[in-house]
Amino acid sequence: MTAAPLYIALRFATHRKRPLLLSLIGVVFGVGIFICTQAQTQGFAQFFIDSTIGSNGALTLRSRFQPRYEGMVVSAKTTGGVSARRNFFEGISNVSEIMRVSRQFSNVVACSPVLRGTISARAGFENTTADLFGIDPASHLRTTDLAKQIVVGKFDDFRNNTSSVIVGNRLADLLQVDPGDPVQLLSPGGEYWRFTVAAIARSGVSTIDSSRVYAHARVAQRLLKKPYQASMIIYKLRDPDRAPALAVRFEDLFRHTAQSWQEREEGNLQIFSTLRMSVAITVSLIILLAGFGIFNVLTMSVLSKVREIAILRSMGYRKIDITAIFLWQGALIATIGSLLGCVLGALLTLGVSHIPIHIRGLLYANYFLVVWDWRHYLWATLLAIISVFIASYVPARRAAELAPIDTLRGSSL
Amino acid sequence: MKDDISLSCRDIERYLGREEERVHALRGVSLDVEAGSLHAVVGPSGCGKSTLLYILGLLDEPDAGSVDIASTAISHLSDEELARRRNELIGFIFQFHFLMEDFTAQENVMIPMRRLGRLSEEEMNERAAGLLEAVDLGDKLRRQSRHLSGGEQQRVAIARALANDPQVILADEPTGNLDTNNSQRAFELLANIVREREKALLLVTHNRFIADACDWVHEMKDGRIIVSHPHGQRISVS
Repeated sequence: MTAAPLYIALRFATHRKRPLLLSLIGVVFGVGIFICTQAQTQGFAQFFIDSTIGSNGALTLRSRFQPRYEGMVVSAKTTGGVSARRNFFEGISNVSEIMRVSRQFSNVVACSPVLRGTISARAGFENTTADLFGIDPASHLRTTDLAKQIVVGKFDDFRNNTSSVIVGNRLADLLQVDPGDPVQLLSPGGEYWRFTVAAIARSGVSTIDSSRVYAHARVAQRLLKKPYQASMIIYKLRDPDRAPALAVRFEDLFRHTAQSWQEREEGNLQIFSTLRMSVAITVSLIILLAGFGIFNVLTMSVLSKVREIAILRSMGYRKIDITAIFLWQGALIATIGSLLGCVLGALLTLGVSHIPIHIRGLLYANYFLVVWDWRHYLWATLLAIISVFIASYVPARRAAELAPIDTLRGSSL
Repeated sequence: MKDDISLSCRDIERYLGREEERVHALRGVSLDVEAGSLHAVVGPSGCGKSTLLYILGLLDEPDAGSVDIASTAISHLSDEELARRRNELIGFIFQFHFLMEDFTAQENVMIPMRRLGRLSEEEMNERAAGLLEAVDLGDKLRRQSRHLSGGEQQRVAIARALANDPQVILADEPTGNLDTNNSQRAFELLANIVREREKALLLVTHNRFIADACDWVHEMKDGRIIVSHPHGQRISVS
């Protein structure tokens, strides 16, 4: 194909500036809004994922199990598509050995044992149920974002004082405690143990922040009166997306139940996924509407260029050249529209990220959460190109099929 | 007639329309046009002149018969091949000049060259300027064709028809939309170029003076060439 169709397409397009501009605006806004809405919806989802992984790890290893042939029968669990009855035993056996072997896996960045239990927390006249996490500060720091989540106080104060705790910020609000304040935790034996609040942490996930208390593992073991060191091991992974596969592998290897973050947060992730899909469909309709606009503009262009098409055909331009002229016009709209749309999308995303909001529900946020992902720009551009191509193709083919002789005869006889 | 035939057709038959409205537009038309000669086709409206011209210009296909251009048979060729031959071998001039209104005179002349794709942008510019100089429009290269007079537009159309140095020029009432002075001027220009550059010209005209100035005149009636005669031997057929 020669460059002639492109040259003529550019001339035709610049001749009809207003319709071209309207088509362009449709694509620009479609692409821009698509990018911005995807950045927002994924922003909230990504924040939730980062927060939950940062607090609870990408993978969790829990109770030891055996195939059922003795002891208590617990409900079935599906592993690798095979259903099997299992007997579960509370706590992790051989914590050090499991962690040593786990670290051999390339996807494992760090792991940390956690002794978890439910306790009652009291401060002043306030009393509530809390989720106690007995942790090893050093390994927990490598595995989670706890240090980053500290909003008041210092992590080192916690590390250096075994009688101190870190409290989730919503729980701290409920108990009305600040760093340095005393807090009492009720052991299963019925006695209150006194601790000092070293720091207050905010993960951003409501369920964590309203219930979590971190204490030193050995202290927690004594408080909870557990015979084992850890009730779970949490993992930080290089590629959290591969957590489900690793969970299956760990179950086979360690005979402990393993749960990926995707499985753990399945319900919430489905909500985010559905919301994102819904918004994507809505915004795609804008781009499709822009496509209809382009279809109309190019159809009108073909009708107004019947004479020029006949001239070009008489001068040796092929049908494919005529098709190319109108497809080039569509390509021009798609290219410029997508580029400007990407710029608009980035500006909208930047603007939206500075809009203050007060979210204190599932998530904690003071501003709209956005994520900057090049794939949003790619998808928006692809959607625009496909939409414009379909909208351009029909008028382009129609132009090519116009018989020049009908036009020439109609004007010359 | 000379041996170096640029354009010829044999026993051309063409039907137009469908079913009851079907018209037998051409009935066994045969014609030879040699290089460096001017041929005029005359006849009443609806006698098949333009139909013949479009078939010879490869814009329409005959129902029967054959067309040869530059000693090559043109039958059963693909749209792409026909388009290529139109681009390389044929130059068209229409009654209403059919220029691209938003293009300058120079850009209009360059349109066939762009399709041919053998010249650089600079070479196309130079060649278009040269052709427009030849039709006395050297000072209006950059003027949009819509801002040219009717006579000037037709001269641009003549320059455009010569853009790819075609062997055959087909003109459908090239002076039909011009006043007497401009008609005369445009025809003389065309005739000089055709003779100087050894082109074959076939023109359809209602203008008796222009027809008489051609080397051959073919008179058509009811889809047939009823008589062909050389310059100065006009036979009146009623």
